[in-house]
Amino acid sequence: MGEPRQTTTLSQELADFLQSGISISIATRDGSLTPNGTRAWAVTADDDRTHITAFLYANTAEPILRDLHAHPEVALGFDRPSDSRACQVKGSYVASHRCRAVDRKVIDRQVAGFFADLGTIGIPAALFRGWKTWPAVAIRIRVTDVFHQTPGPGAGERMR
Amino acid sequence: MTMALETLASCFQGIFPATLYTCSADGIPNVSTLSHVDYVDAKHVALSFQFFNKSRRNISENPKALVRLYDPDTSQAYLFRLRFVRSETAGPTFESMRLRIEAIASHSGLKGIFKLIAADIYEVESVEPAEDEAGAPEAVAAAQNIAPHVPAVPFTMKALGELSERIQRAPTLECLLESILETLESLFGFGHSMILLTNERPDRLVTLASRGYENRGVGSEVGFGEGIIGMVAEARKPIRISGMIRQMLYANAVAVRAQEQGVRSEDRCIPLPGLLSPESQLGIPLLVRDELFGVLCIESEKAYRFHEQDKTYLEVLGGYLAIAIQNALLRERSEESEEPDAGPRPSPTTPPAPGTGRPRIEVAFYKIDECILVDGEYLVRSLPAKILWKILLESGQSGKREFTNRQLRLDKSLALPEFKDNLESRLILLRRRLEERCPAIRIASSGRGRFHLELACEVALVEKP
Repeated sequence: MGEPRQTTTLSQELADFLQSGISISIATRDGSLTPNGTRAWAVTADDDRTHITAFLYANTAEPILRDLHAHPEVALGFDRPSDSRACQVKGSYVASHRCRAVDRKVIDRQVAGFFADLGTIGIPAALFRGWKTWPAVAIRIRVTDVFHQTPGPGAGERMR
Repeated sequence: MTMALETLASCFQGIFPATLYTCSADGIPNVSTLSHVDYVDAKHVALSFQFFNKSRRNISENPKALVRLYDPDTSQAYLFRLRFVRSETAGPTFESMRLRIEAIASHSGLKGIFKLIAADIYEVESVEPAEDEAGAPEAVAAAQNIAPHVPAVPFTMKALGELSERIQRAPTLECLLESILETLESLFGFGHSMILLTNERPDRLVTLASRGYENRGVGSEVGFGEGIIGMVAEARKPIRISGMIRQMLYANAVAVRAQEQGVRSEDRCIPLPGLLSPESQLGIPLLVRDELFGVLCIESEKAYRFHEQDKTYLEVLGGYLAIAIQNALLRERSEESEEPDAGPRPSPTTPPAPGTGRPRIEVAFYKIDECILVDGEYLVRSLPAKILWKILLESGQSGKREFTNRQLRLDKSLALPEFKDNLESRLILLRRRLEERCPAIRIASSGRGRFHLELACEVALVEKP
């Protein structure tokens, strides 16, 4: 898998975008290169913006953590449905913990933001009554790369 | 748990964004949003390949993929474990995807940039519901104001029989078009619809009848390949699009990126006739033995309003409607030719004497582009404009108010083709444009192949170069 990748610092504008309440997906893989993935409900960025923490529903986090303990490579896709602005953060797994009450406030706030954004394109929040966000697990990730992912020419290019 | 793909048809409508997870050969995972996943058969799905991105590179190195898809009827997410099989650049799956994508691209002014490179075919190894994104069908039903799992089945034999009867009763082409749209609403629940027919200008369609819109839009034109209606005409195949707002947003994001990268200069989007923000659109070509007569388009502000079944039924119905339109055209022409050209008949309404205080309007004919403006406002152009100009001139010179289609056909100045002159549809268009824009001038039918001119105003004719 080569040399460990260098740590990257997110711009403040990008860190704000990631934490603004949008669609987040997390991707891992197992030893046979089979991809795994699920939804992350929120992220927070450290003050120095070199690490982010993703919050996942606990049950669906289990296979993700199983992958990460053996293969720390991880990708997080961010997408704002109302304008398709999207990017992808690649990183390396650092640690995880069971979420506490303080984390729940972050999750609830970002989930509400995500549902509100869907509402602007005619998808009402009532449709997601069955979706589960709690109990949750927090996964801390060191950021190594960021890529443009808004659809169209230039998607996939590294952000500078 | 593995589920049968046939039971998940709703997932393939593209209403909620899907997510694709892949992994490179050197073990780096990747995640991206997908514009559409198509059902191919009981064991395969197709993903659209539009840009050479990281996901596509990963698949070429490692065929394993995971897709998360949503059922818009229940909001349940499903995880599809996939294995890449092949890329297709032709065939029914590719064509169906291409038409839908190019229709959206054309509608967004992105033709040539936002296009399908290939339909990537994947074998579905397993499908299971996502635990964290469980469905809430009652909430969905309440939000959409529909009963869950009760698909509407409007195409009963009784309804089809009634449609057929109404079509056969329609005495003229104009009545037929009205009857078709009225029936689509009253029997099948399609409240917003329009019929566009081919005309004397090659590769263009003109709207002759519409229903459910504030502005009827009669006379508005669409070029072949322009927007969803134009794509239906160009491909001569039906196109059904659900969740248009999301797909337009996706296309718009591509447009913004293309402009930023200098790939596309800013240009005007083609305005779609009909609803301002349609969520669902279904376009059906009206074909008789591969000859295109026009396009029937129905729309809705509801996402996923039209199902695959609607497309199939309306495609069959489209053939029937096209034959009915063709028959109406042929019948009107043959009956008019059987009727002797008996010269002027008395007008059913006595024209008021000139100069008796009626309003005065200026009708200007621009020779250069064969276009008529009434009091400076555009009315009509091409053949309908030439017909109106001719009958107004004759009326002004001799007081003549009765005209026959036959006379028009024989008039060399109109230069109607001997075969398929579209005269009836041109007269319908002219009549409706006058109703909308200049009701003081009226063309009313006075029998088969005959019409009379009614003037509730003084007309000043001005010919411009």
